[in-house]
Amino acid sequence: MDENPGLSEEYRMASPWPLFVALGLPIAEVGILFGLVPLAVGGLVLFCGAIAGILREAEYAASGWRALAALSLVIAGGGLALLYADGATESDLVVRAYSMVGAGVLMFVGGVGGELFARDAEPAI
Amino acid sequence: MEITGQLLLTVLMGAFLLGVAAFLARVEEWRSYTPLGAGGGAVGESGYGHAEKPAGLIRWFTTVDHKDIGLLYGAYATIAFVVGGLMVMLMRAELTTPATDVLGSATFYNSLLTSHGITMLFLFGTPIIAAFANYLVPLIIGADDMAFPRINAIAFWLLPPAALLIWAGFFPLPDVLPAQTAWTMYAPLSAGVGNGTQANVGVDLMLLGLHLSGVSATMGAINFIATIFTERAEEVSWANLDIFSWTILTQSGLILFAFPLLGSALVMLLLDRNFGTTFFAVEGGGPILWQHLFWFFGHPEVYILVLPPMGIISYVLPRFAGRKLFGFKFVVYSTLAIGVLSFGVWAHHMFSTGIDPRLRASFMAVSLAIAIPSAVKTFNWITTMWNGKIRLTTPMLFCIGFVSNFVIGGVTGVFLASIPVDLVLHDTYYVVGHFHYIVMGAITFAGMAGIYYWFPLVTGRWYQRSLAKAHFWLWMIGTNITFFAMVLLGYGGMPRRYATYLPQFATLHQVATLGAFMLFVGGIIWIYNVFVSWMEGARVESGDPWRLEATNLNTAEWDWFDTKRETSLAATDGGEDVQTDGGQESQRDS
Repeated sequence: MDENPGLSEEYRMASPWPLFVALGLPIAEVGILFGLVPLAVGGLVLFCGAIAGILREAEYAASGWRALAALSLVIAGGGLALLYADGATESDLVVRAYSMVGAGVLMFVGGVGGELFARDAEPAI
Repeated sequence: MEITGQLLLTVLMGAFLLGVAAFLARVEEWRSYTPLGAGGGAVGESGYGHAEKPAGLIRWFTTVDHKDIGLLYGAYATIAFVVGGLMVMLMRAELTTPATDVLGSATFYNSLLTSHGITMLFLFGTPIIAAFANYLVPLIIGADDMAFPRINAIAFWLLPPAALLIWAGFFPLPDVLPAQTAWTMYAPLSAGVGNGTQANVGVDLMLLGLHLSGVSATMGAINFIATIFTERAEEVSWANLDIFSWTILTQSGLILFAFPLLGSALVMLLLDRNFGTTFFAVEGGGPILWQHLFWFFGHPEVYILVLPPMGIISYVLPRFAGRKLFGFKFVVYSTLAIGVLSFGVWAHHMFSTGIDPRLRASFMAVSLAIAIPSAVKTFNWITTMWNGKIRLTTPMLFCIGFVSNFVIGGVTGVFLASIPVDLVLHDTYYVVGHFHYIVMGAITFAGMAGIYYWFPLVTGRWYQRSLAKAHFWLWMIGTNITFFAMVLLGYGGMPRRYATYLPQFATLHQVATLGAFMLFVGGIIWIYNVFVSWMEGARVESGDPWRLEATNLNTAEWDWFDTKRETSLAATDGGEDVQTDGGQESQRDS
């Protein structure tokens, strides 16, 4: 590969987040499908965290922390839906439901905490 | 025991997340001294080098540049091709004798068979097309990059985990067996019912991996559609959009309708397997429902895989025929026609399942109708070459090989589309021979035509011509030996998917294995040639290495290449490291 700039190479072309979106999704999928709590929670945190990072980087969200908190509500909502579905089926969905709710709570705390405490570490607007 | 396992998993997951956080913190720091911003001009002060990208390995992990991602797709597809190829070499070795003398186990053969199909279709076929499309479409249509560069990167990075999940059964994990469902994953076998081993976690992991690769393909397709619609340069109108972008656009449309359906069907299958639903159980939706859903995805998938390679052929072949593509408009129309018709033919895979004969007849009619746009393309390629000034370069050889193999693969397919013939040949090696003429003889040949044609563009160097031609001839002869033997095996009644067979089939199976070894040797030559030439091949001396200007057949990506060369020559004060081989190499491959 020629290391010299060509025509379309004159703006910044790197982002750390896509790799972790792509890692978080399968880890979360495996964790939720097989009811492995650490993988489910960790994968969801990685997945949503990286999405929040992308949203901030692409300036779709003013703050990555707030984006994370918003995503946490979706995940917790999904967990609650699973909890509701658990009553309707013979399958055991409780562990999966709680790991999603748990991941949601973790991310919400992280998002709100980050918004309150970490904001000033970033360059002022 | 259970608690210790969970604890270990928790610690590992925690450590991994900490590692990610540390990595991100480091990247943030690196970012703080280089300006960031969409569209901001951040060229480094030195004037050359990738000031807009971090160095070393991190560049590849963080890149959102369409060319880098194209190269990543290419490297990934190459690895998958090697893995899938080695799997089939084991299978072909096994099939040299009627009993399971070589592998010693029919279940291992079944696992290889399943994994070979899925690897080649989802981990090699789709990604190698994405490699070409990512690298070239933005250059050809004059876009700065893909419409969504980060989604582009996500789509790529979903693939390595997908491959690991699909191959997980082969790794030495306790209680994880490889799937033996074949790539079609027919219920009830794939639903894990009965006394077999297919309720195993390995099958779940394979289904998850397949699901991920589908998500990746869908994200890529959305990106290509958006890019081709919105990012074209002003001078690129719909009327003069190139044929390769047309096929990528059509393919992306097919992906958009086909892959989400595969994803949903896979989720339903996973629910059947793990949560007691009955989508594909006899007492529920029934196993035939799976076949309908699978083939509603599966048949368009065939065209998802073949349309862009046809685009490569339509793009490359005229360059070495010295003429413009004959009937350009009709090649575009036939592409669109195939795209539309492809969704109306799925039940021709199910003629022998006992579905309603009236339905069967209508699917036969549509399937036969697809022969028309396919023939339009074939005749247009032949007519393009007719009375042309043909230059038998390696890419051109692969193009002609494509047309030749596609004719055989296509005609054998027309016969299969006919119900009475299909009822005799269904599930025999005839089918295997037919579709391998397409996937190996056509699709892979077109991929190779593209790789050799754009090798100078990507690497700035030449491949070794004699090795490339040896590769072509080994593959052309090997393909026809292997897969024509399969067509004959099918006429003889040899059923597909079996590890063992009756002694009367031994000779043709041995012939097929001989052909497969020719493909194997050709493949090794190809890998060697690409690697060595990339490192130390003769440098390209001009911005028009294929001398397309002479026939007025130059295309936009070579203009880009020319400009890039000039920029880099200026940046290095005349270019010390550009060797002067006196124009000799520009004739190397003519």
